[in-house]
Amino acid sequence: MGGKGEVFALRFSGTVVAIVLLVGVIAPFIGYDPVSDVDYEAQLLGPSWAHFFGTDAQGRDVAIRLLKGTEAFFLPGLLAAAIALVGGALAGAVAGYLQGFGRSVVVAGLQLIDTLPRLVFIILVCTISNPSITLISVVAGLLFIPAIATVIRRKVEALGSEDYILAHVAHGFSPARILLYHILWLQCRPLLIRQATFVFGYVLFVETALSYLGDYGVQEPTPSWGNMVAQTRNLAGQAPWPWLFPALAIVATISAFLSFGNLVARRDEEAIR
Amino acid sequence: MRALPLVLAALRRLAGSLGLLVGASFIIYMTVRLAPGDVVDAISPMGTPPEVKAQLAAEFGLDRDPVTGYAAWLGRSAVGDFGESLAFSPGESVMEVAVPAFKRTLTLCGLTLFAGLTIALGLAVLLGEPRPRQQLFTAPAYVLTSTPSFVVAVLFAQGMNWLIHAYVEGGGFETPIWYPIPIYADSIMPYVFAGFAMLAGDGLFMDWFNTLRAELLGLRQAQFITAIRAKGARTTGHLARNLLVPIVSSFAARLPLVLGSVVIVEYIFTLDGAGYVLLEASRLRDFPMVVGLSVLFTATIIAVGLAADLIRALVDPREVARGG
Repeated sequence: MGGKGEVFALRFSGTVVAIVLLVGVIAPFIGYDPVSDVDYEAQLLGPSWAHFFGTDAQGRDVAIRLLKGTEAFFLPGLLAAAIALVGGALAGAVAGYLQGFGRSVVVAGLQLIDTLPRLVFIILVCTISNPSITLISVVAGLLFIPAIATVIRRKVEALGSEDYILAHVAHGFSPARILLYHILWLQCRPLLIRQATFVFGYVLFVETALSYLGDYGVQEPTPSWGNMVAQTRNLAGQAPWPWLFPALAIVATISAFLSFGNLVARRDEEAIR
Repeated sequence: MRALPLVLAALRRLAGSLGLLVGASFIIYMTVRLAPGDVVDAISPMGTPPEVKAQLAAEFGLDRDPVTGYAAWLGRSAVGDFGESLAFSPGESVMEVAVPAFKRTLTLCGLTLFAGLTIALGLAVLLGEPRPRQQLFTAPAYVLTSTPSFVVAVLFAQGMNWLIHAYVEGGGFETPIWYPIPIYADSIMPYVFAGFAMLAGDGLFMDWFNTLRAELLGLRQAQFITAIRAKGARTTGHLARNLLVPIVSSFAARLPLVLGSVVIVEYIFTLDGAGYVLLEASRLRDFPMVVGLSVLFTATIIAVGLAADLIRALVDPREVARGG
C-alpha cells in the first residue's frame, strides 16, 4: 500500500478538510442578513467578479450563502463527534476492561442502541419535539456511541493480553491511567480520528438532507447547503449555479472528511506496525 | 449429533433477537414519553378533538406510569395493533397502511442490495488483483460514490429535467418511458432510478467492491486453495462457500444505512413506500403511524441480523464453535 496516489489523496482531502474547518470557524464572525441581500434586479446572474458563484432566484449572492451555510452543520457536527467519541471511547474501554456480567450488560446496551435505524429514529425524535439542529446532533452523537465503542472494545481486549500492559498493571498504575492514556490515547488515536470524521460527515448528511426536505432542517431565509440545493424545485431547467455549487460543496466535504479519516487511520496503522 | 449445537445456537440467537426487539421498542416508547411539555399535545396533530386525544393517551399508556404503560403498549403492539392512523390516512389501522408500504420498500432495498452485490462481486472477480493503473479509476470512483444518495437523486432528477426539456423542444408529446416521475402508477422506472441513487450514493457500491476484492484476493492466496488446486480439483465451489460469509456480513452491516437513505430517496421520487409514508406522517404529526413504522424498521434490521447470523453458522461451523 501507500505510494504517490495515496499521499496526494491524503494532502488533497486534508486541504479540503482544513478549508471547511477554517470557514466554519470564521463564518460566525461575518455579518450577513439574508433579507437585505435580496435584490430582484440581480436574479440568477452567472458567476462574475462581483458574485463568484452567481446569484439565486432572489438575487442573493450564492458564495456568501455557501460560506454562511457552514454554520448549519459545523458546531452541531463537532458536538455530535464529541459526544460519540467520549461516550464511545468510555463505553468501549469499560466493556473491554470489565469481565463477566458487567461486560454483558454494557455490550447488550450498546447492541440495543445499535439496532435503532438512525435516520428513522431521528425523524421520530423530530416528530415529538420542536426539532433544533442541536437536538438532532445530540441524538446523532448518541446513536453513534455503539459504533465507536465496538471498535475500541476489540482493541482494548486485544491489548489487554499484551505483556507491556501487564507490566503496567504490575507496576501498580491505576486502571484509569492505563485505559485512558496507554490504551486510548497512545493506541486508539487513528481509530478515533476515523470515527470522528465519519460522525461529522453523517451530521452534515443529516442536516443537508433534512434541510433539503424542508420540515425539520434549517429554514429559509437562513442559508444551509441543504435548503440551497432544494431550490432546484423552483428552477427546473434554468440557471444551475444556485443549487449546483452547494451540491458540489456537499459532495466535496463529505467525501473529503471520509477519505481523510480513512487515510490517516491507515497511515497510522502502518506506522504502528 | 452435529446438528444439536447449531439448533441450540439458533435458539439462543432467536431469544437474543427477541430481547433486542423488546429493548429497542422500550427505547422508542421512552423517547415518546420524554417529549417536552404535555406528551399528548406533543404527539397529536393540530386540532385533534379531546376525545381522540384521550384515546391516544390510553393507547400509549400515557395516563399510567412508564413501566405499566409500556407493558400495555407492548402487549397490544406484539399482536400488531399500533392503533389508528390520525392524519395520514385517518381511520385506517396503522398496520393496514404500513405493511403494504413496507413491503414495497423492502422489495426496493432488497433488489438494490442484491444487484449491487452481484455487480460488485462480478467486478471483483473480473478485475482480480489491484494494479496501479486501476487506482486511476477506483480512487476517484470511491470519492464520488461517497456522495449522499439524496444528492445523487437530486442531480439525477435535474439531469432528467434537462433531457425532458430537450425532448419537448424536439417535438416530443407523450411521456417517454424513461421519465422517472411516476405519471402512470405501474411504471417501474422510478424504482430503477431510486435503486441506482441508493447504490451509487453513500459509498455503498465501492465499499462492497473493495471488501469483496480484498476477501477474494486473500482467499486465492490461502494455502488450502493452493492445496486443492495442486490436487487438480476445482476451486470455484470452495471459493464461493468461503466468500459467502463476508458477503452475508456486508449485506447485514449495510442494511441499516440503506434503510435510512431509502427514506429520503423515496420522498424525492415520490414512491409510496414506508419511507415516504414515514416522512409524510411525521410532517402531519400522525404519531401512531410514525411509531408503528419505527418499530417495523427496527424489527427488520434485527431480523436481517438474525438471518445473517444463521446463514453464517450454517456455512461456517466455526462460528458456532466460537460460541457466537
